[in-house]
Amino acid sequence: MKIKIIFWILIAIFLIIQFIPSGRPEVKKDNPKDLLANNIVPDEIANMLKTSCYDCHSNETVYPWYAYVAPVSWLVSRDIRKGHEKLNFSEWENLNKIKKAEHLDSMSDELESEEMPLPIYLLMHSNAKLTPEQRQTLIDWTGDFADSLFE
Amino acid sequence: MKKYLIIPLAAFVAVLFLNFAAPEKVQNTNATFSPGLAIPDDVQQIIDNHCSGCHSSDSKNEKAKKKLKFDKLTQLRKSKQVAKLGKIADVIKEDEMPPAKFLEHKPQAALSADQKTTLISWAESASGSLVK
Repeated sequence: MKIKIIFWILIAIFLIIQFIPSGRPEVKKDNPKDLLANNIVPDEIANMLKTSCYDCHSNETVYPWYAYVAPVSWLVSRDIRKGHEKLNFSEWENLNKIKKAEHLDSMSDELESEEMPLPIYLLMHSNAKLTPEQRQTLIDWTGDFADSLFE
Repeated sequence: MKKYLIIPLAAFVAVLFLNFAAPEKVQNTNATFSPGLAIPDDVQQIIDNHCSGCHSSDSKNEKAKKKLKFDKLTQLRKSKQVAKLGKIADVIKEDEMPPAKFLEHKPQAALSADQKTTLISWAESASGSLVK
């Protein structure tokens, strides 16, 4: 008897929390200020950025189904909001040269310390995992690309 | 011309030569070997006393070292120097460094308003002269 009541209460809670907005950032496909749209970036690098970074660091997030189901949706939305706040490749050309260099330097730090992509993201996106070689390729690119800004 | 005049004349010419040549030589050395980024003594002193405890090669704070080693700053490529200088100015403006937690244990490491101004204006002007 008791178990049945608890079960229905949980179901009710689950249904009710679906009405709490998660603050999910909107997907925008047209991003004229995007990094890849405005710069010559090698395909290998562009692919890595798209696969491993763009879900949280651009306006072109590909939301999985569970991003629409509370309470997971809250977690996903929060991570993406935080990702946008730190760095949004869709808004790249709004940055000045110095800020761009700072972001590229941070990217290299994050990659080197393996803090990005987030482990919780990799749990559901195993293709976004970067091999040590890929990390190094990206790190090298951040340096070269930053240098090219000041030539 | 009298022979004994040759020596003072030679000396005079030598002095003239040195006067003109020396400054030019110094200028050339500067242009060729200047590291581009200079850290004035007053800035260096603040760095030594407030930052290098964590942000230098011999620090044990791996996270801080990874982000910035002040003793290696002048050896970095230009784009990295610009990035680091921008971040130095930002974290000081935002009072993010030295970290509040660290200051709880070591309040004497806090930067005075004057020291902050010195560091920020150094970082900004050094970055400006690298970028121009």
